[in-house]
Amino acid sequence: MMKRSIAFVLLYLTNQCVMAINTPLPSVIAPLASKSLLLDIVNIEQQKLVAVGERGHILLSLDAVNWQQMQVPVQATLTGVYFVDTMKGWAVGHDATIINTLDGGKTWHIQQFKPELEKPLLDVVFKNDMEGLAVGAYGQFFRTEDGGNTWHSEFHHEFLLPEDVEYLEELKNEDEEAYLDEQSSILPHFNRIVLDGRTLYLVGEIGLIAKSNDFGKHWQKLAEIYQGSFFDLIRTQKGNLIVVGLRGNAFRSLKNGTPWQRSATNTTALLNSLVLSDDDRIFILGNNGVVLESTDDGLTYNQHIQEDGKPLVAGVWFDNKIIAVSDVGIKAITLTLPGHN
Amino acid sequence: MTINSITNRLEVGLFRQRFLVLLLFVATSVFLFFQATQIKLDASFTKNIPLNHSYMKTYLKHRENFGGANNILISVCNEGGDIFNAKFFEALKGVHDKLFFIPGVNRIQVKSLFSPSTRFVEIVEDGFAGGPVIPANFRSDAQGLAIVKSNIEKSGIVGSIVSDDYTCAMVKASLMETDPSTGEKLNTILFSEQLEKEVRNEFEKNGITVHIIGFAKMVGDVANGAKGVVTFFGVAIAITAVMVFFFCHSIRLTILPIACSLVAVIWQMGLLSTLGFGLDPMSILIPFLVFAIGVSHGVQMINSVGKLVVSGKTSLQAAQLSFRALLIPGGIALLSDTVGFLTLLSIDIGIIKELAITASLGVAMIILTNLILLPLLVSYMHISKSFGQKRVENDSPKQKDSSIWHVMATFAHKGPASIILGLTLILFLMGLYHSQDLKIGELHAGAPALHESSRYNQDTFLITDKYAISVDYMSVIIETIPDACTHHHIMDAIDNFQWRMENVEGVQSAISLASVSKIVNAGYNEGNPKWRALSRNQQTLVQSIARIPSTSGLLNNDCSVMPVILFLADHKAETIDAVIKEIKLASEDLQLDNIEFKLASGPVGVMAATNEAVAEAQLPMMLYVYGAVILLCLISFRSVRATISVVVPLFVVSTLAQWLMTVLDIGLTVSTLPVIALGVGIGVDYGIYILSTMSEKLRNGDTVGEAYLKALQERGSAVLITGVTLAIGVSTWFFSDLKFQVDMGILLTFMFLVNMLAAVIVLPALAAFLWPNKGETIK
Repeated sequence: MMKRSIAFVLLYLTNQCVMAINTPLPSVIAPLASKSLLLDIVNIEQQKLVAVGERGHILLSLDAVNWQQMQVPVQATLTGVYFVDTMKGWAVGHDATIINTLDGGKTWHIQQFKPELEKPLLDVVFKNDMEGLAVGAYGQFFRTEDGGNTWHSEFHHEFLLPEDVEYLEELKNEDEEAYLDEQSSILPHFNRIVLDGRTLYLVGEIGLIAKSNDFGKHWQKLAEIYQGSFFDLIRTQKGNLIVVGLRGNAFRSLKNGTPWQRSATNTTALLNSLVLSDDDRIFILGNNGVVLESTDDGLTYNQHIQEDGKPLVAGVWFDNKIIAVSDVGIKAITLTLPGHN
Repeated sequence: MTINSITNRLEVGLFRQRFLVLLLFVATSVFLFFQATQIKLDASFTKNIPLNHSYMKTYLKHRENFGGANNILISVCNEGGDIFNAKFFEALKGVHDKLFFIPGVNRIQVKSLFSPSTRFVEIVEDGFAGGPVIPANFRSDAQGLAIVKSNIEKSGIVGSIVSDDYTCAMVKASLMETDPSTGEKLNTILFSEQLEKEVRNEFEKNGITVHIIGFAKMVGDVANGAKGVVTFFGVAIAITAVMVFFFCHSIRLTILPIACSLVAVIWQMGLLSTLGFGLDPMSILIPFLVFAIGVSHGVQMINSVGKLVVSGKTSLQAAQLSFRALLIPGGIALLSDTVGFLTLLSIDIGIIKELAITASLGVAMIILTNLILLPLLVSYMHISKSFGQKRVENDSPKQKDSSIWHVMATFAHKGPASIILGLTLILFLMGLYHSQDLKIGELHAGAPALHESSRYNQDTFLITDKYAISVDYMSVIIETIPDACTHHHIMDAIDNFQWRMENVEGVQSAISLASVSKIVNAGYNEGNPKWRALSRNQQTLVQSIARIPSTSGLLNNDCSVMPVILFLADHKAETIDAVIKEIKLASEDLQLDNIEFKLASGPVGVMAATNEAVAEAQLPMMLYVYGAVILLCLISFRSVRATISVVVPLFVVSTLAQWLMTVLDIGLTVSTLPVIALGVGIGVDYGIYILSTMSEKLRNGDTVGEAYLKALQERGSAVLITGVTLAIGVSTWFFSDLKFQVDMGILLTFMFLVNMLAAVIVLPALAAFLWPNKGETIK
């Protein structure tokens, strides 16, 4: 009798705990939200900017000066945001969170919240308002075909190293549980997913660059050019590809995929993000306040180190400025074109 | 009646054995003088804080782990450029090594560019790489300096160990309360002198400047400033002597009250030293006060003696009669001073208690020296005819005086009295209205004890300007379960608390184990800011905390205690109040099982506790001091009316003093709170002297007007002289190097002068209405 009641209490407590973790808490409106750690920003058709970051912070601005924090149903740190039009958008983040909006960012709804996975999602992309992908740490890969109402996990064997394939096969036969556990952490981090016309690019850990022509169903790894992580990839105004990553590594490819050439950046900082201006310049944003500017389509770069040395995580070109997000929030960086005033 | 018989017996006894009594006084004085020479200047950190306040209990409980607030910061700066040159590094190394070997410094925690624990970490493809910022094979040549420069950039110490503009570098140390090698208590003042001599003087040259801040240095500077008090003491004695001479026109009669008052000061210091107390920079002013009070009572005595001699008495008779006449009012007045000071014992701050003991001891000594020793000495003195003549001559201009007394006597008639009372009421109401704005706590930036222009405060401004650190910080201590830092929900609560506090106006930044572990977590993930979060995964969370040592001050050994350190914009009372209020709200909102958010540690935590203790003490202190004054008046006058006429003017003046504080931007602090008690305790003297004569005359059937006129003629000039003497004694403090002494000086001068005015203007006006039948019948 006694034992049963203790067991019951324990069960009750465990349930309470699980409940506590699984119940997302709404974000808190804070005066300093626009100065908090922000991790991604999008420019929606030059009309509106949306930035996301820690504690479920989502901020909207029409002028890049005044920012308004929106009520969000989660407090998870949000790492990526994507809009298909001025109204429909998604944001992803830690606790494998996926939230969406249908009214241009004013109200947000939870589509997925899985703190028990203990892994963050790092980026999200949509082909149209129905088909989308969310990717993240340890090769997490979620797909939706109904605008995010349901998300399905996919495991992409093509990113496994040959020896890992064998190892997993063996494990699968021996110990199902260990196999699943191993499978959930064996893939590299997927840091960024970029839609370039009909081609999808994925960059990530251990020099991962891959492309897909069927919106992520099948992937083709590009030849290895670097051991470290990549964080962003972009097609320049002139049609070439640039990829950036750890320790100041930036590569440029003149024709689709090959051959990659290393560009001198004169920095060892982590390069987070690429930004294209509307005057044919390319900017690379990095940690330690690094801003690199190229006026020759990514062949050479000038350094414009920001004095405060804050990591610049992502940015957009808006109103002839870079509007960047950092660990101290929104930053406007004005760099006039050489020769112009 | 019984009081009278006691007075009689005392008088007969003392004067019959006057030689023996004098001998006793001399012997005691010699002994206490010797003791007084042994007295030490004494200051300690714990004396300044309300130890029983709940914040301070938290502070003391965790002081071992988190070092508390007793740190020293030395910024070495290059005036003509950046730090990257051989000359600067030589000086910096010199300062570091010197500080390391000064007794009292916790050597493990000396931190600068040269300490091996100052390391840089960088992220490379396969993990971390790092080493000490200054490598073992460092040479201060161009190449070596370039390596150090790039290491500094990687190490994240800009703003703490190196100034934001690379012109200064910091050496930090925390101090131990007791020296482990000798087991002796740290001598803060000596330590500060060593810093000055062995660090500042040695290395501040050739364009290198040395800036030192920290509690120990501040105390040293305050003690240094307090030494200037000796000069003020001399000046006060000289001016007082001149005043007394103008009053009595006799060198001998001038010397006597001053000598007796000095004896009181010697006895006070001697007793303090015998009882094992030292003199604190704050209570160093008390001897002044004792001297001034002594002189003012001495003046009453020689005033009475002089008048009796002029009327033809011998000096012995005059002394005996004066003793008898003044023992009761003088005794009551001094007793109420003593009680007024003793009420300060109710405030639970060591330094105020010490001040209460110092002051009440001193005033008690005056009862012996000026009410007994002085008349005994006078009785031996041959007071010359010339003195009498001078007094008589003096009486001719005194005719004018008397006409002044006649004018003033009209204050006791209902017509002028109602005007006076009306004006007083208006002033009182204005005072009451404005005193609502009285702020509790320090209202200015920097160390409030010192002037803004002092070297210490200038150094403070330089350091807070050049570094991203603030000396105004407060720690909220989170008490929780062992190994709490491995639980996501606890760390998350700390993180949320920190964020909420960061959003409070007045909080500039904050740091805790939670915020640091997020940065470390990003570090483990290639420095990618997207990983700057508390990991849900326990192993990962542990990994992100494992690198943070308990010497960081962010956790104790089993991380069951973790502070959230809040850096504030300043330490003004309003800022502290707002932050404390929000902390209390936030800790309620974020309440979880097993987590307690405890206030508070750090310098501002101490200030918050002190402010609260001062605020709480204000009302009880006023009640006690007024209670004591009322009780003593009731006992001595045996009249409610007399008590009212003494106490009401006092209360009006206290209110006006609070108004003055708001006007002059003086906050209610540990040093200004006692002033109110001192002011009331001493301010009551005037009223008691005047009313003791008045009530005697009133009892004999005089009208209020007549009684007041007689009181003025008998005591008026002495009261005026008393007020001026007291005011002079404390007004020399205006020129003190110490800001709090200036504040105390201004307030006490105001209290003494205005209380005197109130006693001769408001008191008779009140009396006119309180004894109405007698007021108007004759007029």
